[in-house]
Amino acid sequence: MIITKETKMADVIHMNYFSLSVLNRFGIELGFGDKSVQEVCIQKNVDTDFFLEIINAFVNKDYFPKKHLQSFSVKLIADYLEKTHAYYQEEKVPEIESLIKEMVTGCYTQKKNIVLLENFFDEYKIELLNHTKREEDVVFPYAIAIEDAYNNKKYDSHINALMETYSMDIFKHEHDNIEEKLFDLKNIIIKYLPQPKDSRLCNKLLFELFFLEQDINDHSRIEDKVLVPKVREMEKVIKEQFTK
Amino acid sequence: MQSIRFILYEPSFLIRKGLITVIDKIANSKLIAQADNEEELTELLNQEDADILIVNETAFESKEIVKQLKHLSGVQIISLTMHKHSKITDYAVTDTVNIEDTQKIILKKINTLISNNISKKNIEKKPDEISNREADILKYIALGFSNKEIADKLFLSAHTVVTHRKNITRKLGIKTVPGLTIYAIINKIIDINDTGKLNPDSHK
Repeated sequence: MIITKETKMADVIHMNYFSLSVLNRFGIELGFGDKSVQEVCIQKNVDTDFFLEIINAFVNKDYFPKKHLQSFSVKLIADYLEKTHAYYQEEKVPEIESLIKEMVTGCYTQKKNIVLLENFFDEYKIELLNHTKREEDVVFPYAIAIEDAYNNKKYDSHINALMETYSMDIFKHEHDNIEEKLFDLKNIIIKYLPQPKDSRLCNKLLFELFFLEQDINDHSRIEDKVLVPKVREMEKVIKEQFTK
Repeated sequence: MQSIRFILYEPSFLIRKGLITVIDKIANSKLIAQADNEEELTELLNQEDADILIVNETAFESKEIVKQLKHLSGVQIISLTMHKHSKITDYAVTDTVNIEDTQKIILKKINTLISNNISKKNIEKKPDEISNREADILKYIALGFSNKEIADKLFLSAHTVVTHRKNITRKLGIKTVPGLTIYAIINKIIDINDTGKLNPDSHK
């Protein structure tokens, strides 16, 4: 089902409870009674159309009107992506960390192996942090600068110099395998880790890892399918101006 | 049993959905990717490793794609034909499925193709067990040695080491060096004290 501005916000969550995390990112809290998506968005000062595109793309993988999403400003998209970064760092990662900690303290037979997992996740955390920091420090500011130059037809030496140091092609090249370690961690737990006595924690951890992976995949999809093509298109137009 | 990986190329949305429904009914099948245009298909073929490729060749617009299909190896190609007596292009098609075929016939064709060409290969591979040689190599990977260093130690070519690495990753389902290291420790291929420092710079 496609969510529209008339859909009740409560139904959005009934349809797919994963959408809670998206609502979270937009700063939308529970308790919205029978209000529609549009009513809640207006109340929370959220761009309704943008919210709709993001939530629909999130709950339904086949739904990806790339063209439509591309009509939103780079700034808006980058803001959203930054919010997902914060969500990973401030919520998901600490949750997973505390689960692993709990496993380490609670388990006597497999302690050594779980400590290995702990170290592994620590490394992943640093990788994720570097990855998001790079996007926030370099990629997003670059994309916003390109959009600004494009919109205001500011084809000056400044933008030329910027485009010589960075490009969406470089981003695409450096932007990968952040999911690889998560994939490994899942597989190690599913296939190889001798099971600790308390399988409850282990299952919980696995569930969280799947959840995080799905969210990161969705996040990458927006970057690769929306942000990159959009900025590339603008890069092309600007370059043509310079070669003229 | 490893899953049978499918890639699907069909521009028509409805036909694609129909094919996906049929693929879902095949034991251990896994649709790894689908494309509705040539550009996407080309990219997929470069990135992904499939067992079966189902393509609607009437939708091909360029000769490049046919050339690419010709050079694919290890992939069974099923051509989806729109007319009863379509002419088949000259790349290595294993079988054809016609748009008017019933589900039963399509399933039978694909299952026959799997049992004749893919299952045997998969059984020979013994997917999850790594060989002694691979365990040797895994040991050095886990200890942080580079491909070149491992090649020198075991008197192999670097190319052979890379091939072994690929097989290890495929069999275990673990891609990164730190992941392989944990596997090696859990399975007592190396001792945790051997690793000393797990140098993050040595990751590929």
